[in-house]
Amino acid sequence: MVDVVRHDVVIVGGGGAGLRAAIAVVEADPTASVALVSKVYPMRSHTVSAEGGAAAVARADDSLEMHGYDTVKGSDFLGDQDVIQYFVEEAPKELSQLERWGCPFSRNEDGTVSTRAFGGMTTKRTWYATDKIGFHMLHALFQTSMKYDNIVRLDEHFVTKLLVEDGQCGGVAALDVRTGEMKAILGRSVILCTGGGGKVWPFTTNGNIKTGDGMALAYREGVPLKDMEFVQYHPTGLPGTGILITEATRGEGGYLINSEGERFLTTRDYGVGTKAELGPRDMISRAIMLEVRAGRGIKVPGKVGEYAHLDLRHLGEEIIDSRLPFVRELSRTYANVDPVHEPIPIRPVLHYMMGGVDVDIDGKANLDGLYAAGETACVSLNGANRLGSNSLTECLVFGARAGQHAIAQSKDTSEIAESKLVAQADAEGGRIADLRGKKAGSETISGVRETLNDIMEEGTGVYRDQTRMAKAVTDLAALRARYDAISLSDTSKVFNTEILAMMELRNLLDVAETVATGAVNRKESRGAHACEDFPDRDDENYLHHSLVYREESGTRFDTKPVTLGKWEPVLRSY
Amino acid sequence: MSELRPRLDAMRPSKPGSTRTADPRPPDQFPGKGNYFGYIAFGLGSSVMLLVSMNLLRSIWALMEGEAAFRALMDSFGHPLYVLFHTIAFAWLVWVALRFFSLFPKTQPFRMGPFQRPADGVLVGGLYAIFAGATVVVSAILAGAIF
Amino acid sequence: MANQQTKTIVVTRFDPDVDEVPKTQEYEIPVEADWKVLDALNYIKDHVDPTLSHRWSCRMAVCGSCGMNVNGVPKLTCKQALSDYGDRVEVQPLANFPVVRDLVVEVDGFMEKFKKVKPWIIEAKEAAVTEGTNRQSHAELMDFKQFSMCINCMLCYSACPVVSNEPDFLGPAAIALGHRYNQDTRDHGSAERNEIFRDDGGVFSCSYANECAEVCPKSVDPSGGIQQAKLNNVLDWAQGFVVRRGEN
Repeated sequence: MVDVVRHDVVIVGGGGAGLRAAIAVVEADPTASVALVSKVYPMRSHTVSAEGGAAAVARADDSLEMHGYDTVKGSDFLGDQDVIQYFVEEAPKELSQLERWGCPFSRNEDGTVSTRAFGGMTTKRTWYATDKIGFHMLHALFQTSMKYDNIVRLDEHFVTKLLVEDGQCGGVAALDVRTGEMKAILGRSVILCTGGGGKVWPFTTNGNIKTGDGMALAYREGVPLKDMEFVQYHPTGLPGTGILITEATRGEGGYLINSEGERFLTTRDYGVGTKAELGPRDMISRAIMLEVRAGRGIKVPGKVGEYAHLDLRHLGEEIIDSRLPFVRELSRTYANVDPVHEPIPIRPVLHYMMGGVDVDIDGKANLDGLYAAGETACVSLNGANRLGSNSLTECLVFGARAGQHAIAQSKDTSEIAESKLVAQADAEGGRIADLRGKKAGSETISGVRETLNDIMEEGTGVYRDQTRMAKAVTDLAALRARYDAISLSDTSKVFNTEILAMMELRNLLDVAETVATGAVNRKESRGAHACEDFPDRDDENYLHHSLVYREESGTRFDTKPVTLGKWEPVLRSY
Repeated sequence: MSELRPRLDAMRPSKPGSTRTADPRPPDQFPGKGNYFGYIAFGLGSSVMLLVSMNLLRSIWALMEGEAAFRALMDSFGHPLYVLFHTIAFAWLVWVALRFFSLFPKTQPFRMGPFQRPADGVLVGGLYAIFAGATVVVSAILAGAIF
Repeated sequence: MANQQTKTIVVTRFDPDVDEVPKTQEYEIPVEADWKVLDALNYIKDHVDPTLSHRWSCRMAVCGSCGMNVNGVPKLTCKQALSDYGDRVEVQPLANFPVVRDLVVEVDGFMEKFKKVKPWIIEAKEAAVTEGTNRQSHAELMDFKQFSMCINCMLCYSACPVVSNEPDFLGPAAIALGHRYNQDTRDHGSAERNEIFRDDGGVFSCSYANECAEVCPKSVDPSGGIQQAKLNNVLDWAQGFVVRRGEN
């Protein structure tokens, strides 16, 4: 039988949201015990790579109202306004808390925290630590979490299944990567904080671990995923590798330039108005794609396709070194370009998934005992397009709230038949054991993954159309058969990364399926979903959230109303 | 050279790990090659200093015993082996001093009271100046120009 | 591409279920001019030998997963260009660490040392959320910022000769991190940390080989931090001595 570990709350994922949730649980109830289960050591979590900053109202010329409306408008009116209201109120408190936990924010002359401009934000409200906010936030949270002895880390444990019995989630089955043994980690509630699934696409800012694990875990238990068709292309990733060049480059005054040396966001109408480079990400990414289509992309033979230039030269070495040192390091190391002297080649790359596990404002999913927070969740803060620097704050605000609610609720939950949960984990252990070194057909993990990437790039890119989205749906269904024909060769139990890649690929396929299904069912253009056969927003028919369910027979699509409030949907222009 | 190994428990967790591990290797090229050579040579510099200091003590001792004893000792220093030793010791210790200078600036706090730590070059330059000044003074004393 | 080049990647292999001790395996693979060492390992994993185990994630030199010894020198493999080496490139797990499998080392010993320095803000009193943020001048920030840049990649532990010989030694990254909190104006825990620093395996175990600074991919320069921490400890001790004398 499998090893059984018992805790009050089980948190899956040790990034920004997971760590914040863990701390929230033990602060709410110092006697509670938390299992922090992560497939990597928490400081490797992809929160680490966020660069620009985290948004919260801080300045006298700003207001919660303005932050709220910017977010609603950025979401193309698909954000739930009650959620957004709560978010903007909590944001300054959460970031202040992070500051007191030691995050080395950059400072103003008077010693207060400095803020910078960001895309789609009316005023400077993005708190930053040069250009490594994610790194500093993650490390501050991780190091702070070490204070609490009742946060028990299970590092390098890969969760393969939620343990659900009688409509209640009572823990997870996790593979101890080092031993290759399955464990049943039981808790009265489970919080999924595993981030997004950027590795569905070929060009992404996301790291190798971003495989949509939490989304797929919930989806396979019948929990709906919401608004999955909305995926954010960050306008400025390095071509080829997809490495992120932060929006703060434009917040600090950088320009986007086409092959004719023209600052096209100011000379042509892309709907961003006077915001120019500080327009929202969906619009800027589309503008770059249109420039390339119009033949004004920069071409380098045989490499990575056409791209645009991000020009920082006019900022000068001093500003670049003091505000954007990491951008300089990345450009030199990965693009062989020094931004002080040359423009940086950039193209839109997949960055963030607005969709995720459908949760309410408390982070609770449509399954008792299951919560989600951060990019994994869709609490409907971001709607159809997230504003840069809202996501780190989201991890804190909703990570904390999910943690508080998970522990409060876990006390009055009746004990679930533990033996049944353990039996499930046991069966899962058997399944993994059978998978090790399994010979099936001639397919390989990398082969199927590359095809998946191609399908999703073609079908769910910056611009989409019905034909290509529908083709993605059918191609993905066909790819399932190829997945089943993958043969594995690593028979070792110890640190078998082939098994991990195999299970991650399954998660990627599940997530991709929900993205394509959501996309094909939304016959309008809204936020990041730019459908070329339906170029306009259609509030009459599509002002709703999409839900995708996994059922025995396949996927089921449904919708859910948007929570509106004081801001009525109007045409989104800047 | 016999195989050099780190202590097997160098980075081992307090509780044994859940699977069998292979023993750690020492840092590559340790201790003879690459950057480690400088480190080891710097450390061994203290032995050289010890030997030189012992000779210095012997000289003082000889002085206490009178001029004849001191002269005898001084004459013995003319032996080629002693000349070789002092040449090597001189070069070695000058090098130790210079390595010390180059490693000195970052050992200092970034701020001292209201003052920022001077640029590395300024600190190293200062040490060189002190070194040069001391050399001049000592040389002058030895040459009998002062005192 | 016409000028397709090949290189031989010599990789340490160790499967505890099968191998008594680590062995090496050679892979001759086609390489691209702009590859990092990690790209070569991933090529092997994807196209040649799926049983190869190594850690990696962000591939942008900030998550700290992919530290390995390349031709004998600790490197972040996602940052180190493959073109800096000749036709044979040797990739080994980090030195000084027990090896779990192939290029994967045991991290838990490091995590224990890391926690020993109390790497969190120790406040004089617990502040309420409504009190907002602390004030900190830019100069105060710069007193510790450099030491907050550590990505925990453990290259310094692989390079440090003291780590090899003194199992209690907290090591470069952990001490630099403790020093980072000591230097932070928001923290009031330096007395506690200095006690740990003065203890066996603390700052005075460091003999300033400076190797940690040489290999650090993020210019943290732990060795500078350790020497500063030594100085602070001596001053602290001296101050305590004087104060105690004065009280008598």
